[in-house]
Amino acid sequence: MFGFTAADYSAMFLSLKVAVTATLLSLPFGFAVAYLMTYRRFRGKILLDVAVNLPLTLPPVVIGFLLLILLGREGPIGKMVLQPLGIKLIFTWKAAVIATAVVGFPLMVRSIRTAMEGIDERLVQVSRLLGARRLDRIITVIVPLSVRGIIAGSVLMFARGLGEFGATVIVAGNIPGVTQTIPLAIYEYASSPKGDVMALSLCAVSISISIVVLVFHEWLGRRIVRSD
Amino acid sequence: MELRVAIQKRFGNFFLDTDFIINGERVGVFGPSGSGKSTLVGLIAGLTKPDKGTIILDGEPLFDSSTGVNVRTESRRMGMVFQRPSLFPHLSVKGNLLYGYKRCATENRKIAFDDVVQVLNIGRLLDRGVKHLSGGEKQRVAIGRAVLGNPRLLLLDEPLSALDDSLKFHIVPFLKNVCEAFSIPYLFISHSLLEMRIMTDRILHLANGRIVEETTAEDLVRKRMGESMAGYMNLLQLSEPRQVDALYAYTWGEGQLLTASGDERPEGLFELSSTDIMLFKSHPEAISARNLLRCVVVDTFEAGNRIGINLDCGGGRLVAEVVRQAADELGITAGVEVYAAIKATAFRKLG
Amino acid sequence: MKTIVRSLILLLAVLTLFAVSARAADINLSVAASLREVVTELGDTFARKNPDVKFLSNFGASGALAKQIENGAPADLFFSANQEWMDYLKEKKLVDDKNIAIFAYNVLVFAGKPDLKISNLQDIVKLNKIAIGSPASVPCGQYTVEAFKKAGIEKQLEGKLVMARDVRETLLYAERGEVDGAFVYKTDVQEIARNVKILFAVPQEYYSRVSYPMGLTITGAKKGETVAFFKFLQSAEAKAVLAKHGFPVK
Repeated sequence: MFGFTAADYSAMFLSLKVAVTATLLSLPFGFAVAYLMTYRRFRGKILLDVAVNLPLTLPPVVIGFLLLILLGREGPIGKMVLQPLGIKLIFTWKAAVIATAVVGFPLMVRSIRTAMEGIDERLVQVSRLLGARRLDRIITVIVPLSVRGIIAGSVLMFARGLGEFGATVIVAGNIPGVTQTIPLAIYEYASSPKGDVMALSLCAVSISISIVVLVFHEWLGRRIVRSD
Repeated sequence: MELRVAIQKRFGNFFLDTDFIINGERVGVFGPSGSGKSTLVGLIAGLTKPDKGTIILDGEPLFDSSTGVNVRTESRRMGMVFQRPSLFPHLSVKGNLLYGYKRCATENRKIAFDDVVQVLNIGRLLDRGVKHLSGGEKQRVAIGRAVLGNPRLLLLDEPLSALDDSLKFHIVPFLKNVCEAFSIPYLFISHSLLEMRIMTDRILHLANGRIVEETTAEDLVRKRMGESMAGYMNLLQLSEPRQVDALYAYTWGEGQLLTASGDERPEGLFELSSTDIMLFKSHPEAISARNLLRCVVVDTFEAGNRIGINLDCGGGRLVAEVVRQAADELGITAGVEVYAAIKATAFRKLG
Repeated sequence: MKTIVRSLILLLAVLTLFAVSARAADINLSVAASLREVVTELGDTFARKNPDVKFLSNFGASGALAKQIENGAPADLFFSANQEWMDYLKEKKLVDDKNIAIFAYNVLVFAGKPDLKISNLQDIVKLNKIAIGSPASVPCGQYTVEAFKKAGIEKQLEGKLVMARDVRETLLYAERGEVDGAFVYKTDVQEIARNVKILFAVPQEYYSRVSYPMGLTITGAKKGETVAFFKFLQSAEAKAVLAKHGFPVK
């Protein structure tokens, strides 16, 4: 159907794989950062806030380039951490996951933070008075009451991840079957005079996935509201 | 219960400095808004940290700035009920009630779930969500939740202030019963002297962040009588109403009272101002007031330029007030017999 | 207010007119990436003799350039790295057959770190990652894939090929060390490589000869300066410059 090649199906599968992995990987960190920002006071809080939000304002290619410098063979992390451990990240699907995670991280943190800040402080106090220690409070009060933010953040990040191009192409490269996600495949087709039809077909796939994701998000949101 | 508190805390312009030892099961913290009541209670609960000082409950130090002791709120085993119920929206009523219970060590679980549910009459609410409960139901669940945590001390921070009058006095018996039934000492905070009188024995009077005096509700009320137009409010627990024409006849002590307001409920709390009690040296033959009681003066006290008269009316106690001249004229002193006339409309039903 | 608006519109119209009517002495070049330095040098030489002339050059993958021209990008002279993209424009009637000539030739090589033990095509399959131009639009990549197919190693290389936008990006990947090696032209390595060297040349029997057709577009054919430049590029002087940069000219 539509004349998709094996490489195209690969691209679709890869896109989903990268977006899902990036989202799942970012969840614990996103939650932790949102928790720190909401409930803890410490010096340098503003710096953390700026650092977390920076990817939102930077062009993705800049982020990709910075990641390349950091994690590449000559980079500080590449030289001191990755090479000794024998880990290669650049031009692998893992790099695509990292690029997507970095780009989408601020979206996730924002969503979760907004939800957390909306939790009545009194409820947390009550849980303390009733004997709940910190981890207990997080699991039994904060997570359930911020679950909408967590889901919204995840969906946003997933959707953003599906469309990630700029950072991905620099740090993961365009390797069919390995790192070529849907946006990269579309770009390659669009560069070729003969590729317009295929590019459009892949666009249609991309749009369809986005619609499914958005509809799911809406439905989930309604289900949670009605659970009283 | 013995609570020793000697702490200081500065909040911007406000400075709290209290040093007291209080013993008892039903203790009140009384003061106007902004006097630091909630601050004090928050410090005792451990939600905020004093700048310096000590807090010792039943001999155990909860906070001591000199030794660095600061027991976490989670470990202080204090229950707290706030002005707003603050129930967990994502848990059912049962889930809310059991939250503290589950986190209580088994050896400390002296209070049973079913008993609390029964005393607070919330059995039919157990499986419901908390969103659509009425204000009174929510507060009762909040009380149950705090109690089921098996606290050593219950802190009640203006628990009735957000409720309207009828609801307030509807909740009061639940609150009293639950604390009595399970022997839980409490600290009751309020700016309402009426609530103090009903709920507490000893009171810490707080003003501007400092303890002004340690007293009883009764003493406070008597002192205020001279300053207030409303006089001294007698609180009467009346029972067994019968309808007589347009009035209600309630049993009070060994006698009965006729009131204009009332309902079919078997018990009721009524207010009667000392200014509404008229005293006669001898039995007035024909009088419009429906209540005429034969009383003996127990004692008198001064309040400003008035005299408060403590009366024993066949078992029940009433405080009436007259101006000094009237007292002198009628020769009212301890032991004297007087007749007290009270209009049926003077009684105000609470709740 | 009305007069201000009217004068602004007038100003805008005048400016647009100026933009549209580019200077008659502008020559728009669309050039295959591997020809960057040599065409720039030839342009400079020509411009010294013809001071009126100004070159506006656009470098990139031949396929991508062809697409841009098809979509209306201004181009007077198009240098492609293979016949396919020139034929494409011929088909679209954007280039006239009689205005096409072969500009130069080239050779496909494999470049990598000097200490890499790779000496022929069969050795390639042992590597982890190899950069090639994207065959969808980069002639160098097309030649490379042709060679892979002829050598029978296409299947074994699945998942190892990193696609680049043009031949220079291909080389860059190798330069940065992010891939083990790259298939580029001999001239690219000569021109700009610093960290890699030619490890072997791909045997000519595995791929069609790399030839660079250059063609005057319909618009270019009408400009005297462009036609003059076109002729200049076929002169002996030009061929000497090509040879200097390492391009075979026969």
